[in-house]
Amino acid sequence: MTANRHNTIFDGVDFGTVLLYVLIVIAGWLSITSASYDDTAADIFSFSHFYMKQLVWIGAAWVVAVVVLLLDVRYYHMLAYPAYFLGLAMLLAALAFGHEVNGAKAWFEFGSFRVQPVEFAKIATALALARVMSNYNFSINRPGDLFKVGLVICTPLLIIILQNDTGSGIVLASFLFVLYREGLNKWLCIPVLFIAALFIFSFLLSPMTLLVSLILVCTLSEAMMNGRWRSRVIYLAVLSLASILLCIVAQLIAPGSLDLYHSLLIVTLVSLLFVAAYAFRTHLTNIFITLGLFVGSLVFLPTTDYIFNSILKEHQQNRILSFLGVINDPQGIDYNVNQSKIAIGSGGFWGKGFLQGTQIKYGFVPERHTDFIFCTVGEEWGFVGATVVLTLLCLLILRLMRMGERQEEPFGRIYCYSVASILLFHVLVNVGMAIGLMPVMGIPLPFMSYGGSSLIAFTILLFIAVRLDASTRQFTLNKF
Amino acid sequence: MNRSEGFVRMRTLQAVVLLIFAMILGRLAYIQLIDTRYVEMARGNVLRFEVQYPPRGEVYDRNGEYLVQSRECYDLMVIYHDMDRGGFDTARLCAIAGISRQKLDRELANARAYPRAPRLVANYVSKEEKLRFDECNFRGFYTVSRTVRHYPRQVGGNLLGYVGEVTQDMLKRYTSYKAGDYVGISGVESAYEPELRGKKGVKVLERDTHGAIKGSYMNGYYDSLPVPGSTLVSTIDARLQLLGEELMRGKVGAAVAIEPSTGEILMMVSSPTYDPDELVGRERGNHYMQMLYNKRQPLFNRAVKAKYPPGSTFKLVQGLIGMQEGVLRPSDRHVCNMGYQAGRLKMKCHAHASPLDLRYAVSTSCNAYFCYVFRDILENPKYESVKEGFDVWREYVESFGFGRKLGSDFLDEGNGYVPDRAYYDKQYRKSWNALTVLSLSIGQDALGCTPLQLANLAAIVANRGYYYIPHIVKRIEGRDSIDARFYERHYTKVDPKHFEPIVEGMWRSVNVDGTSRMARLDGWDVCGKTGTAQNPRGRDHSTFLSFAPKDNPKIAISVYVENGGFGATSALPIASLLEEYYLTDTIRRPALLEYVKNMQIYYPAYDR
Repeated sequence: MTANRHNTIFDGVDFGTVLLYVLIVIAGWLSITSASYDDTAADIFSFSHFYMKQLVWIGAAWVVAVVVLLLDVRYYHMLAYPAYFLGLAMLLAALAFGHEVNGAKAWFEFGSFRVQPVEFAKIATALALARVMSNYNFSINRPGDLFKVGLVICTPLLIIILQNDTGSGIVLASFLFVLYREGLNKWLCIPVLFIAALFIFSFLLSPMTLLVSLILVCTLSEAMMNGRWRSRVIYLAVLSLASILLCIVAQLIAPGSLDLYHSLLIVTLVSLLFVAAYAFRTHLTNIFITLGLFVGSLVFLPTTDYIFNSILKEHQQNRILSFLGVINDPQGIDYNVNQSKIAIGSGGFWGKGFLQGTQIKYGFVPERHTDFIFCTVGEEWGFVGATVVLTLLCLLILRLMRMGERQEEPFGRIYCYSVASILLFHVLVNVGMAIGLMPVMGIPLPFMSYGGSSLIAFTILLFIAVRLDASTRQFTLNKF
Repeated sequence: MNRSEGFVRMRTLQAVVLLIFAMILGRLAYIQLIDTRYVEMARGNVLRFEVQYPPRGEVYDRNGEYLVQSRECYDLMVIYHDMDRGGFDTARLCAIAGISRQKLDRELANARAYPRAPRLVANYVSKEEKLRFDECNFRGFYTVSRTVRHYPRQVGGNLLGYVGEVTQDMLKRYTSYKAGDYVGISGVESAYEPELRGKKGVKVLERDTHGAIKGSYMNGYYDSLPVPGSTLVSTIDARLQLLGEELMRGKVGAAVAIEPSTGEILMMVSSPTYDPDELVGRERGNHYMQMLYNKRQPLFNRAVKAKYPPGSTFKLVQGLIGMQEGVLRPSDRHVCNMGYQAGRLKMKCHAHASPLDLRYAVSTSCNAYFCYVFRDILENPKYESVKEGFDVWREYVESFGFGRKLGSDFLDEGNGYVPDRAYYDKQYRKSWNALTVLSLSIGQDALGCTPLQLANLAAIVANRGYYYIPHIVKRIEGRDSIDARFYERHYTKVDPKHFEPIVEGMWRSVNVDGTSRMARLDGWDVCGKTGTAQNPRGRDHSTFLSFAPKDNPKIAISVYVENGGFGATSALPIASLLEEYYLTDTIRRPALLEYVKNMQIYYPAYDR
């Protein structure tokens, strides 16, 4: 190693990651070209075309990538909190003065060009999360520390949901992936996932079923964490017996006053006091976490109906209902997903070829250059092309995880995992909705969807990780 | 957290990532490789199959005159998006296209739903209207060529049939039809539908999500040109048909003429008829409903479907069966004393010389004579019972083409009816004999014959014992021959040698001393047989069978006039005039022509 080589910004950069990034961006640009190419246009190189605009954005993104690599690692560490608060401020500003697009008040508009602060808030949150969790003495399974983590994740989430941009907000839930890596008890991860599922399906289930599932999930996960199965089973038995007794007694005293659901609710709430006392006496602090989860869910569950009916816009309700199969309306509500599936499905094994996709070319798929960009891949490049693109994305995510693993500092590891989880969530939701695996949420496919702010934000997100990794490798290399 | 646990968790997360991607790939494989519905749906989205309609085949008469022509006509289309934004002269467009303002507004409102898709505004736009339309420049409007039927002679409504839009029922049965196609519904149009139809061409075009056409699909690789329908040469003589329809005007009934040597139908009139042009174009539906509710039922093709009692014309068949069965010799004489008497049963007859032989009996149409013959046939000692004799008789009758379809090229040909043993067993609770069914001898009782079957009988007698299946088409463009069954001689079960006395009787009937003397044409040796069918519901039906000349007959004809009175009153003059016109090309009896043309028969049964 010669001294002058240490000065180049590319020293220690993981070129595999950069190569994957470049390939994905190129695949994205080709898809945008297909989706917006108009063979009747007089000047195909005019900058009024999406693909030419995107070319400019790609150039800009690469410049930004270089700038990101130029900054010293310490700055990212240092800037984590300021960036986080700036991000929150931007989100609030968008909520207050932003421009409304598709019902979401989440955009700033500068002339013809729009920025979604949430794209940058994701980076800030990832940095802040890495910073919080890399603190000396941090222990994820300690309720106080977990509360801090929850605060870091949930504050922007709340603002984003208030902006009515639920799709982007849910992306932050993917940080559970990171928390798990950092040692969050898996018997906390699973009930969280489960409860999230309960929330989604809450309007399909009766309150009784919900309550019973909630009790079971929480008790079981607590039992998995602490053992002592016998007392937990006894607890459940007492709970059910007491509620049935209460119900019968109430029926005898004043018929119709108290049904089984309400008696179970009352018994459970009363029992919580005993559970808290038990936890305090046995010093099983993680019971408090489960307790908090349960009470939180109990408070929020009745509100899901309210959220669903009042906060979610009608089109969002319809998307969820249509995904769950409650609505079937290929010409109306299901139109997007249906056309997207037609486009991808008609691609077959080899696809129709570059610029030959009829569904794309003739505009049957809405939002074909942004949220439904994957349709172009599926239709024109077929199963083979889609597999190649998905493999590139999968390799990038796995590579990020590997990069995280080789970090010396927890900060780098947590950040790398955060990036991987954000990318994974985007791919899952975006591709999933295009093929009917997920309800429609308007979030872009990383590096591929048309749009400058999204491309630049993802580039920054990724290249900070590359930068952190590069410094580790430089350091490692320099040791020898 | 120790290092090894972190390693396990990393592996778990890697597994989660791989699992998610595997799930996505699995789903992709399913919709791209296994589920083929999406390919179909994508084609349905993009491809537009523009049908190119072929002109329907034309029909000539036997002398090369047009019976049916295909005439140019146009559909007026609009593409809403291309229309003049500043408005246009709607009144003028309505006037040119011949549509009402309301209809135009309605169609434009519909077109607005898919502004870039072509939409039909008016159909059956004539060539003149189209030319006038072309002179003005209506942006967004254009015309598409189609063809409609045109009938230069305006004859043969029921004979030629009509063309209409394909029905739901047909769409289900024949996959080759698409909604909006035209299909022959009756007569020649339906019988020769496969030949007349031609083959549709198709242009495959690509369109975008707004319905706008983006160009040809695969550079026209899947396109095809329409193949016009084949031309038919009909056996009909248009002029004879025209005269027949004129003569039958004002009467209800049918007249059929056949060329005995070939079985070709020269003329087929079902009266009342209609002008076939009325069932074409925009007013088709209205005219059709008018005809449907017309009590005289012009849409009912009496010539092939009606069941009429043949009356005395059936005596020809009785005589022939009698001779074949050996119960009657032409020289046999029977007594007729103003009728036939057996116990309390009496069959009346008119005044004529008695006793009389077969030839005179045919000539003067003696009822009593054929009662004897019929009884002799049924009570033939050869057979064990009258009922067996009846079965034999019925077999003979069927061999003359009665009681069954002749198998002509008319799809809606009727069977007629010849009662069988079971019918009378039911009617008379099994106790019946020759006297019970005696009125069969003079073609009454339950007998029902179509005018086509009666004309065929005339042809059988003219041919002395055989017939060709009557048919309406002589030649099909692009084919060497018509169906083989029309070239085959069908013999009756009566030996040809027995026909001579019957022919002799028919000749005498016209030329010497019979009931048909009015049908005489000098130099043409006309043979004829009148019939007067009793009708319990009103005046007798008048019918006449005839062929001419006696040797090498050129035309065999049957005319049936409902409530026409005696055979000689109405049916005979009509048949005679038709024969005269066909054989000599002129009519030398203007008074008779006038008489027939002015004859109006009152039909209480229809016009109530």
